[in-house]
Order: sequence, then C-alpha cells, then structure tokens
Amino acid sequence: MPPLPPPFGFEDLFDNAPCGYLTLGPDGRIEMVNATLLGWVGRTREELVGRKVPELLNVAGRIFYETHFAPLLRMQGFLNEIALDLKTSEGKRRAVLANAVERRQADGRTVATYVVLFPASERRRYERDLVEARAAAERASKELAAFNKTLGERIEAAVAERVEAEAGLLAERETAELREQFIAVLGHDLRNPLASISAAARVLLREPLSERGVRVLALMQGSVTRMAGLIDNVLDFARGRLGGGIGLVCDADEPLESVLIQVVDELRAGAPDRLINTEFSLTEPVFCDRSRIGQLVSNLLGNALTYGAIDEPVRVQAFTEAGALEISVANGGQPISEESFLNLFQPFFRGKVLGSQQGLGLGLHIASEIAKAHGGTISVVSDQIETRFTFRMQTAGPQRS
Amino acid sequence: MSITARNNINIKGSGSRTIVFAHGFGCDQNMWRLVSPAFEGEFRTILYDHVGAGGSDLSAYVPEKYATLSGYADDLVEIGETFGLKNAIFVGHSVSSMIGVLASLKAPGMFGSLVLVGPSPSYINRDDYIGGFSRGDIEELLESLDDNYLGWSAAMAPAIIGNPDRPELGEELTNSFCRTDPDIAKAFARVTFTSDNRADLLNVTARTLILQCREDIIASEDVGNFVHRTIPGSRLVLLNATGHCPNLSAPDEVIAAIRDFV
Repeated sequence: MPPLPPPFGFEDLFDNAPCGYLTLGPDGRIEMVNATLLGWVGRTREELVGRKVPELLNVAGRIFYETHFAPLLRMQGFLNEIALDLKTSEGKRRAVLANAVERRQADGRTVATYVVLFPASERRRYERDLVEARAAAERASKELAAFNKTLGERIEAAVAERVEAEAGLLAERETAELREQFIAVLGHDLRNPLASISAAARVLLREPLSERGVRVLALMQGSVTRMAGLIDNVLDFARGRLGGGIGLVCDADEPLESVLIQVVDELRAGAPDRLINTEFSLTEPVFCDRSRIGQLVSNLLGNALTYGAIDEPVRVQAFTEAGALEISVANGGQPISEESFLNLFQPFFRGKVLGSQQGLGLGLHIASEIAKAHGGTISVVSDQIETRFTFRMQTAGPQRS
Repeated sequence: MSITARNNINIKGSGSRTIVFAHGFGCDQNMWRLVSPAFEGEFRTILYDHVGAGGSDLSAYVPEKYATLSGYADDLVEIGETFGLKNAIFVGHSVSSMIGVLASLKAPGMFGSLVLVGPSPSYINRDDYIGGFSRGDIEELLESLDDNYLGWSAAMAPAIIGNPDRPELGEELTNSFCRTDPDIAKAFARVTFTSDNRADLLNVTARTLILQCREDIIASEDVGNFVHRTIPGSRLVLLNATGHCPNLSAPDEVIAAIRDFV
C-alpha cells in the first residue's frame, strides 16, 4: 500500500476518518479510539482507553449492548447496523450505527474487536417517523375496521328496514291497485242497472199516474241522478288513481247554460221540496268539457242540498265576464268548521250529516280535480250567512303548456 | 400445535438425566451453542426458544399469557411434562433463571437441580434492595425499544435483499440470532425488567448453583449474592468471565462449573 503523502499517514487516516473508530482488546476494553469519536463524545483519549463500550452508552444502550450486541458479536463474529446512543460529556445523546468485527486467532480466541460508528441522527429521526407513521397507520386501520364494522351493521339494518318497507309498500300498492280496479269495475257494473231503472221511470211517467205516483217517480228520478253522480265520482276517482287522470273533451261549440239547467233540474227532481234559485248570465262562449262542468256543478249542488239548511234556498249563479267564467253555489246553515276546511277537497272526506244522506266523500274532490283539469280553481267562503263554493276558469279554457 | 414446534425444541445427546437449557432476554437457544454440546455425551440435552424468540411459533404468542414470567414458566413445565422430566437439571441464563425458579415451584420434582447464570430476581431497585436500575432507567429502555434497534434491521433485511421467496438469503446477512418481532421484544423486555421474584427465591427446594460474572452491569455481584443468600442451601461460583453472557464469552468456565455441580 503506498504511503500517504506527508503530513498525512495511516495515523491520520485512523484519527480523522469520517467515522468513529474503536478497537477493543480480548477483554472488551477500549485500546484505540480515534479523534473523530473523541470529538463526538467530548472526551480525551486518556478518559476512554481501558474503559468498556457500555460506559459510553445510556442505560438502555448498556442493557442492549450486554443482551444483544456482545452475544451477537460473539456468535457471528461481526455485526452490522446496530443502532446505539452515545452519551456525550455534556450529557447529550448522539445517535450512531455501529458495525463491528472480531479478529480471532486460529484457535478461535478473540484477539481484538474493531468497531466503527457512523452518525445516524437523521436516520434515527427518519426511523422514528416511520415508527410513528406505522403506529398512526395501525390506529387508523383499527378505526377504519371499527368504522367498517359499524358501517356494515348500519347498512345491514338499513337494508333490512328498506326491504321490509318495500315489501310493505309493494303489498300496499298491490292492495291499492286491487281496490281501485274493484271500484272501477263496480262503478261500471252499477251504471247498467241504474240506466234500466232510469229508463223504466221515464216509461212510467208517460203512464196515467196518481199524484202520489208522480211524486214517488220524481223521488226515484232524484235518487237515480244522485246515484249516477256517485258512480261517476267513484269511477273518476278510481281512474285518477289508476293513472288515467280526469279526461276532458273540450270545445266551445255548444252553450254551457243548457247543461247547467239540466243539472239543476235533475237535482231539483230529486229534492222536490227544496228551493233552488238560479241566475245565469253566460254571454261568452266557454271552451270546456261541458259534461264535466255539469258534473262539477252537480257535485257542488248535491253538497249544498245535503249540507245546507233545509228552509233556506240554494243559489246557483253562473256568469261570464272579461274572459272569465264564474259559477257559484251557495247555501245557508251552519258554516264549515275550521278543521273541515283543511280537508274539504281530500277524497273520502265527509262532513257531519244525518244517516242516509251520507255520500262517499268524493264529490268535492272530483269537482276540484275537474276545476284543475280546466286550469281553474274552486274557492270556498263559509260564514253564518252562507257557504259559497265558487268555480272560476278562463273562458279560453285550460292553458296548455 | 405441538409443543416441539411451539418452542422450537431441539433434543440432543443421551443419558439417564436431562439438562434443559433456556436462553435469556435478547437472543435464542444459540446462546448455548458453545456450552450444551459439552454435555451431550452424558446427558440428554433439551434446548428451546421462548415463544416469541428465535425459531418459536410466533402465532402462539398470546400477549396476556406472556405478560408475566409465570406464563413462560408454564411453558417450561409443559415441556418437562411432555418429555417426562424427573429430577432433571435446568440451566437458565439471565431472565430464564427466574423462569426456572418458578417452574421448579410449580412442578416439584421435575427439576432437582437449578443452574442460574447471571440471575436477578428484580432488576429495579426496590426499598433497600439494589437491583441495579431505577424505574426511570427501565422506562428509558422500553422507550428505546420503540426505536426498533435490532428489530429494525431484522425487519428490513428481507426487503433489502428483495427476495421474499428466499428468506434464507436475508438470514445470512443480518443479525439473525437475535431477530425477533419488535412488539414481542418490547413486551418481553417489559416482563423481564419489571418482574419481582424475590419472594419466590425463599421457596426454592431444588439444589441451586448460581454462576456470577464480574463486571456484569445487568446482574451485579451484589444481586448474585442476594440470590445466593435467599435461596436456601444454594451454591455461588464467581466466574472470572466479565459481562452478562459467560455462556458465550467464557464457555469453558461455565461448562466446568456446571459439570462440577451436577
């Protein structure tokens, strides 16, 4: 090996190497120590020679040295990358990585041990970060697992609830469909015998009859009308619920007034002892489904006769003005109660009324549906003087969007 | 799972009597590689690794069980029962000295003789007993184990080699004899350095030999003398060896002392 140029030499190579360097005797005591290491720990050569490595370490390092470093070195003759903390004269710690190798004689006896120490503060910090990161990851993973567990449980519960609800909903929907189909079929089947009764009554009217007979026939006609109205309502309701909606066939070709007169006459026939005053002033043509408007008025008038005071007249007014149609039906008697007001137009809502007059509670609902279909409204005013339902629509008919 | 696999038990030699060698905190049964062969001619030798160390089955490590030395002593008793040990010789290094003491109390007659190498019933100073370490020292040790030390290189080696299918390549490179799972190492350090078995020493009835090193900072001569005074009828031999591992640094002296005792 070529000699190093003066003033350097192997002594300098040892002393000022960029690592700490120690040699240990067979008894493990320090024999040589380089200047680099002395500088790190702030000790003199005299202080360290003859001492043992554990004396340079903190307590944990000493235990570690005795339980790992020394036995490992004995067993495999070398060790690499062992992390140690050196204790400096100022009481500070200096993180190093140690490599060591034993020099043995032929008989296996250790003559010397060479130890090099590399500064490892940065690496130690990095390792600590890794350990912390791993701990954080483990914590996060535990939290995630716990979260997943509860999430799984929550999803399971929600799914079960949903399945149950859907099963219930499905059953309910099936029941509702069946019910509405039943109503539709029933309504349809009821119309035929009713038409026969109505026809039979008309035939009878042409026969010579007693005064009482005429009166009974009039009552029969009224009942038939009422019945027909009920069936219409039921059918419309069922059809609306089945998705068909209220169908309109609109035109402005015929006058509306004759339809209104016919409706009033029909109901008048069914309630011969009630007074129904009419006041019609339909000067503009109205684009509408006349039979539907007739149904609407029939429903309103039917209601007025049912709920209004018997000794007071029912007033039906219809007029057109400035492109608007207004039809109102008013009756006297008890005003509509506040709680009833909210539900007036709900299907199957019925006011308080005596026995046989009880309807299905569809009349106002169908009337409001017809009004809506015409782009119109039905409003109600009810006080001690009168209860008045007013239907309003544009004479131009429903606005198509 | 067999106890043999669980504790990586290796049986050698033959003879009417059996010597069980148990390693201490730090490494594994390799600690006895310079000592146990000397007895194979006259004795059956059993070497094993504590669960969590060396070649033991890490999956058998139950933190609750191994949170006390008693858990380790139970394993030793199971090993004794499995191999039908009666009046056997137990040689324990470091913390295994106390594990042997506890096993001898749990299973009277199993071990007729105990050889305690560098024993300490308590590493922590308590009252007027001087174990050598303050509680703070031990806390510092446990904290430093968080920095992984050897566990670091053990954990990293296979990755560095980059050949996980052939872990044996990694083993050749690293400090494999002391490799252990870092979490288990820390738990073992805790149970080792925080236990207090001073009271158990009084109940020992087996013949007992204490091998004490000089300049042992883990288990000082004072501690060795305390063990000697406390175990009735025990014998103490002060070795010329220094440090905590005479089984490696002075195997001949250890062999001679054990042979003389048995």
